[in-house]
Formats: sequence, C-alpha cells, structure tokens
Amino acid sequence: MTENRSSKYSKRYKLSISNPKLFDAIKMIIAILIALAITFVILCLISKDPVNALKTILIGPLTKRRYIGAVIESFISFAFAGLAAGVLFKAGGFNMGAEGIYIITGALVAYIASSPFTTSPILHPILCYIGAMILGGLLMIIPSFLKAKFGTNEMVVSLMSNSIYAAVTAYIVRTYIATQQRGGVSSKDYLPTARIGYLYEPLRISACFILLMVVMVILYLVMNKTKLGYQMRLAGTNPKFAEYSGVSAFKLSITTAIIAGVLCGMGSTTQLLTQTSYYTPAQSLVGIGFSGMLLSMLGKNNPIGIVIAAFLIKYLEQGAAVLYFVDGAVPSEIVSIVEGIVIMLISSQYFLRRLRERQLLKEGLEEHAE
Amino acid sequence: MLSSIFSTLFSMKFLITIVRLATPIVFAAIGTFIAAQSGIGNIAIESIMTFAALAGVLGSYLSGSPWIGVLTGMAIGVVTVMLIAFFSMKLGANAFLIMIALNTFADSVAIFVMFLMTGEKGTTASLTTPILGSWDIPIIKDIPFIGEVFSGQLTLTYICWLIVILLFIFIYKTPTGMRLRACGLNPDAARTAGINVERLQVLSLVLSGIFAALGGVYLSLNYLKIYSRGMVSGQGWMGVSANGIAAGNYWILILSAIIFAVFRAVSIIFSSNSALPTDLVNAIPYIAVFVILTAVSIINYYRVKRGKVEEQ
Repeated sequence: MTENRSSKYSKRYKLSISNPKLFDAIKMIIAILIALAITFVILCLISKDPVNALKTILIGPLTKRRYIGAVIESFISFAFAGLAAGVLFKAGGFNMGAEGIYIITGALVAYIASSPFTTSPILHPILCYIGAMILGGLLMIIPSFLKAKFGTNEMVVSLMSNSIYAAVTAYIVRTYIATQQRGGVSSKDYLPTARIGYLYEPLRISACFILLMVVMVILYLVMNKTKLGYQMRLAGTNPKFAEYSGVSAFKLSITTAIIAGVLCGMGSTTQLLTQTSYYTPAQSLVGIGFSGMLLSMLGKNNPIGIVIAAFLIKYLEQGAAVLYFVDGAVPSEIVSIVEGIVIMLISSQYFLRRLRERQLLKEGLEEHAE
Repeated sequence: MLSSIFSTLFSMKFLITIVRLATPIVFAAIGTFIAAQSGIGNIAIESIMTFAALAGVLGSYLSGSPWIGVLTGMAIGVVTVMLIAFFSMKLGANAFLIMIALNTFADSVAIFVMFLMTGEKGTTASLTTPILGSWDIPIIKDIPFIGEVFSGQLTLTYICWLIVILLFIFIYKTPTGMRLRACGLNPDAARTAGINVERLQVLSLVLSGIFAALGGVYLSLNYLKIYSRGMVSGQGWMGVSANGIAAGNYWILILSAIIFAVFRAVSIIFSSNSALPTDLVNAIPYIAVFVILTAVSIINYYRVKRGKVEEQ
C-alpha cells in the first residue's frame, strides 16, 4: 500500500476490525468476556451468591490498599518469568527450564542473603541479583545447547532438568544452609541487609518495580528495533528461512537462552528478597516458571503485553483470594480456568476470523465503489 | 551396604515393583507413539493422565463400580484430546501451545475439581472409592518363579500388555494402521492416495487420549486407591521421551519405557535407605531420562555426521 492511500483510509482503518492490532484487542476482550461468562456459570454451580462472587473477583483487590499492594508486589517476579518465556518462545524455542532455574537460583540467593558478605543494604541485594543472574544464564543454556547442537528434544530435557534442579536444591538447602529451627526444610533467615525495602510503602512499590519497568522497555526495544530482535522473530516464524538468510540458529538459541536465564535469576531474587524472609524449596518459588509460559502466551510474546498480563493475572488471583476469604466454597484455583480459556481462545487464529473477513470484504467493496 | 544394595536389586520384590511401575509409563509411551505415527506430537500426555486419574476416582466413587471409573477416565481423556483437535484443527491454534497450556493447568484444574468434591486440596482420601484388584492366573500362579512375576499383578497391567500386542498388530498389520502411518510419513502423499488424513489423525489422537487416560486411571484406581496432588509426577513425560528415543521403532519404545520403570523402581527402593540422601535418590528417574535422551541424540548426531544413516 502506498503512503498516499494509507493516509487516505487511515481514519477508517483505525476504527474498524480490519485493522489487525484493533482486531487483536477486540479478540482479547471477547475472549476475556467468554471466559468470565464461563466462570460465572461455574460460580452459579458452586456458590450461593454467584453475582457477588464474580464482583468480588473483579473488584475485590481494589477494596483495600494492602490488597492492591500485594498485587503490585507479587506480580513482578511472575512478569520476569513471563519475559523469559517470551524471549524463548519468540525465537521458536521450547525450552521450559524456567521453573527449575527459579528454584535452584533461589538456593544461591538464600545462601548469599544469609551470609555476611557485605554490610551495605544496597550492595547485598545486588550481590544476590548478580549471583542468581549468572547461575540462571549458565543453566538455561544446557537444554538449548543440546537442542541446537545435537537435536535433543529440549522440551523433555528441560522438564527433566526442572525435577533434577528441584531435587538438588532440596538437598543443598537441607545439607548446607538449613536451620534446625524449622526442621531442616528451609534455609536460615536472610540478614536484614539483604531484604529489599519499599520506596513507597502504602502500595508496596520497591526498586524491583523500577527494575522490571527498565527491563521491559529494554526487551521491547531489543525485540522490535535491533538485529537480534529481527533474527528472533525470523527464527520464530520461519526457522528454515532464517537459516537460509544467514541467521545462525545455534548462536541465536544460545543468546536467547542466556537472556531468559538471566531474567529468571532476576525473578527468583525479586521474589525471595521481597516476599520471604527465608527460603523453602518446596514452596517459595514453585510454579512461577510454568506460569511464565502462560503469561507469554497471553501477552503474545510482547514484553509490554506480558507485564500487563502478569499484573492482570495476579489481580484476578488476589480477587479470588479475597473471595475465598469471604466465601470458602470457591477455591482460588478458579483463576486458572479463566486463564486457560483466554489463552486457548486468543491463540486460535480462526477465532472470530469470519467476522473480520466479512468486514474486510465490505470495506473492499466500498473502496471499489468509490 | 553395597551387598544390601545388590541383594535388593536381584530380589523378586524388585522385579514385581518394575512390572507395577512400568504400566503407566508404557501406557504413556504407546499413547505418544500412536499420535506420533500419524504425525501429531502429543505432549499433553501428562495432563491427560492427571485429568483421567482424578476422573477415574470420582467416577468410581459416584457410581460404586471401579470399571465405570475407568470408563469415566477414558471419556475425559477423549474429551481432552478432542479439545486439542478442535483448537488446533478447527480454530487454527498452535497445537503445541494448547498442549503446553493444558499441561500447566492440569494440576490447578484437578485441585479445583477435587476441592469441590472433597473440600480438600491434597488427596481424595476422604472418598471411599472402590478400586480394581489384581488377577491370579489359574495355572501359571503355581509355577515357582514365573508365577510370582506373571500372576497376581494388577488388572490394568494385564490390559496394558494386551493393548501393547493389539496395537502392534493394528499399526503394522492392518490397512488402517498402514494408512495412519502414511499420514505421519507424508501427509500430502497420503492425501493424494485418497486417504482422509484429518480423520485418521483424529482417530490416532483419540487412541492416544484413551491410552494416556488408562495410564492415569491405573495410578489412581489400581496402583494406589486415591488421587493425590501431583501424582503423575513426570510419568507422562517419560512416555514422551521413550517415544523420542524410539524414533519410530515400536519395540525400542516399549524397552525404553521399561528402562525408565527400572530407574523409578531403583529410586523408590533406595529412598527408604536412610544412608543415602533421599532428595537426590528421588531424582534418579529424571536423571536417567535426561542422560539417556541426551546420549541417544548425541549418538544419532554422530551417526548422521559420519553418513551412516540419513537425516530424518
């Protein structure tokens, strides 16, 4: 389309679903509405007061300041996991090692945080971050390297490594950094210097929030404005074409794995130093890595989308937690049903396609008539 | 200590444990295999097993008959694969993403349903569930060594090995099986030859869902008598890896599934030995899968490189 024509029709394009971005947005909204409708049906079956229950899930977190503070505090490390998965998925990789890397880097963070390496309250968390980021980056390489070099099934290998890392972490924590106070299943308390304080206490905004925003913007720029981002997109959409146009699949998968591993390290450190005061391997970080993959699907591998999705999911989870507090009949796992339906609908290419095609046809005819 | 380890490894109990542990992994492996033969990588096995294990317990509890429970589990397995087929074939979603999403949700959804039924989030132990028993084979059970291993095993174990044989005949000896394999080898050629590729792929997916579901039901209605949170614990993925190792060879598939069961048996028997670190012993099966899968792919890589076999 020439510059002239696009400007001529740009006004109408913006307002119609033939605009692909707007169409995606509409698709997302309809998917969310369908998911909420199904949730409402489920609530009707299990709750005595379904209307109030749905209302509590949707606006519950806004009712108290500490609820929304909890959302703001807890969504950060989820968002990091989502970003990690987004980087890998964008480049067409199916490395699912985030879960294990969260858990094993947690052990290193707990070790550094509970040892008196430094007395500076600024340097101590930074040391934790650096350690976790290096370890995460190194470990994430393994499945991607095996895939790129030998063609090993990276999905299975990374899932197995998740279980292995969880076992190794449990062993390390139990043997080296446990405290007998809690029966040897969790680490010693962190030193006060390692904990990250709030910048704005009422909403629980800490430096981690700023870190996430910075990382999000950097990733957005890398993915959309740099050579690496272009190569990632190319390899993700058409690996053969990428290979023939001179993109080294090996180098690319190693690079993306390192980035993803570093992000996981950031995420696990954030989670531990803001949310916990000691590390329990079977509890503190379990499930975050896997949720990250879902976030990257919700956010369509777009860093900004992923961060928004992380916030919304945590918001809904908080809503469900408030609901569970009020009405014990509804378990908080109901959020994952909403999440599942939305993910399946928005990853369907043909969902609502006919609607869009009809609109495109109509516009085409109008254009022709003019 | 070494002698005690050896005496455990060569005992009858160990052999029986292997047979018991092999069943779900073999089910998962043939489930992955049949789907892969028609050209679909079914990585949702783990989630299907989870759903079926829970559905089996609930079906058995509500109806009072364990066989109804088995059927419920199978039905849920079919529903799950049809969901995958619907989203990937009709709505054009990436099947991998749908299956990854299913796997990630499986546990939460199972906990959700379990909580509604029992009010607990851990196990279904509060429900009194009728379960399947074991079978004694009349004449064989009196033969000294063979009788102990082959007789008195759990019911679904026999069904599993029966299915293994029937599936072999189906895939390699019947026209439908041949056509199904043609879909996997070259869907376009198959379509040109007048084969309805989509229909056969759905058929193989349904079979895959049923086998995986039987694996799940075995865990909750036969091997144990409850569904407990996270009970599938990677056995579905072991089936998927067995399929990766087999590269289309049916008997290597079954063999690798049994090898994974051996490592699980080793891990279970040694985890009761207090001299060894339990945390690490628990990881033995996963380490085995990791090492074997990696080793096989490295060997294949060098064979292709030296030109001994063609790249697939």
